[in-house]
Amino acid sequence: MNDITISQTPNTPAVSTDYARGVITMAGDSYPENPFEFFKPLFEWVNRYLDTETGPLSLDLELVYLNTSSIRAMMDIFDRMEEAHRSGRTVSVRWLYDPENDRVGELAEEFKEDCTFPFVIAPRE
Amino acid sequence: MPADGFFQRVEETLQAPDPPDDWREVIRELYNRYRGQTRLLDRLTHISDRFQSAERERGHGCLVRYERQVRQLEKIVRISDQYQNMLRDLKDRLEHAANYDALTNLPNRRYMMRRMEEAAAEARRIPERTFALMLADIDHFKAINDGFGHSAGDLVLRAIAQAMKSVLREYDICARWGGEEFLLLFPGCFEDCAETVAERLLKAVAKAPLPEERIVNPTISIGYTLHRSGEHTDETVRRADQALYRAKDKGRNCAVFISVTGSLDR
Repeated sequence: MNDITISQTPNTPAVSTDYARGVITMAGDSYPENPFEFFKPLFEWVNRYLDTETGPLSLDLELVYLNTSSIRAMMDIFDRMEEAHRSGRTVSVRWLYDPENDRVGELAEEFKEDCTFPFVIAPRE
Repeated sequence: MPADGFFQRVEETLQAPDPPDDWREVIRELYNRYRGQTRLLDRLTHISDRFQSAERERGHGCLVRYERQVRQLEKIVRISDQYQNMLRDLKDRLEHAANYDALTNLPNRRYMMRRMEEAAAEARRIPERTFALMLADIDHFKAINDGFGHSAGDLVLRAIAQAMKSVLREYDICARWGGEEFLLLFPGCFEDCAETVAERLLKAVAKAPLPEERIVNPTISIGYTLHRSGEHTDETVRRADQALYRAKDKGRNCAVFISVTGSLDR
């Protein structure tokens, strides 16, 4: 399985995956011109990882601004993780935010609301 | 028994006052004729029930999916709205940072220059609507920084900025112009009015509550002038600066006015 490495741009976050460790990291703002194309490889990665591997999946996020399509995409990823969690898989999210802008933390709480798997939101040290 | 004849016979049997001899035969024939059809009716009813319940289930499934989608959409909208609010607040903060001095929270030089241009444009249109411009400088501020440290100096700057702001009208502007120098703009204010304000400023600064008891209240020197309709604002500032220079020369802790023609008044 090929890993994903996308560099950060002003309107897209840095994304990297580590199939061996089951880790996805995302950091930055997200308002891609074509959200579907941007998130498609990530969805595919998540699906393939959860469908073929048995190890844990963790998401390390430092997302700041998300446009509506990106919110939708993240919710879909969290839904997929929730589904995996309910079927007994180990999944988790850790969302760090800049303590100077704690609104991001409050927004992360909104995403966490429907998730029953471990979802940590914390200010970046 | 032919069909029409049979139905007539059934009718006669039903109408007969007494049971006819062949009533059993008629009943048997009726039963034979409709037995198959009853089974068909049962099957039809069964199929219909099955379809109806499948439809009901499908409808229920649709409803569940629909409700879930509505909830998800509502959540997306809610989060999206919050992100927009966050962006707006960040924009406000940036705008404030671009226009205000971080230490004193007074408007900065850039903001003041814009407001001066606006006031000058107004005065060009309506010459009576000119403004007074005042340059104030804290006397011997370097001694405070040297004697008590820069952080004490910062606290003093803040306290004096606050004191000056407290004597202004709502539409007057006091900006931090540079280090310990403040530029004040008074729309619709002429010499008398400006003189009164200058005196109030001198007093307010002298009484400003300072954060450190060891520091004796510094004084300020003020130079002020009026904007002449049509002149460049640099000219007005330059005149105020000249007046400030005279005030320093006069021994500080005082205000000096230079008229639009450049004549000294005090």
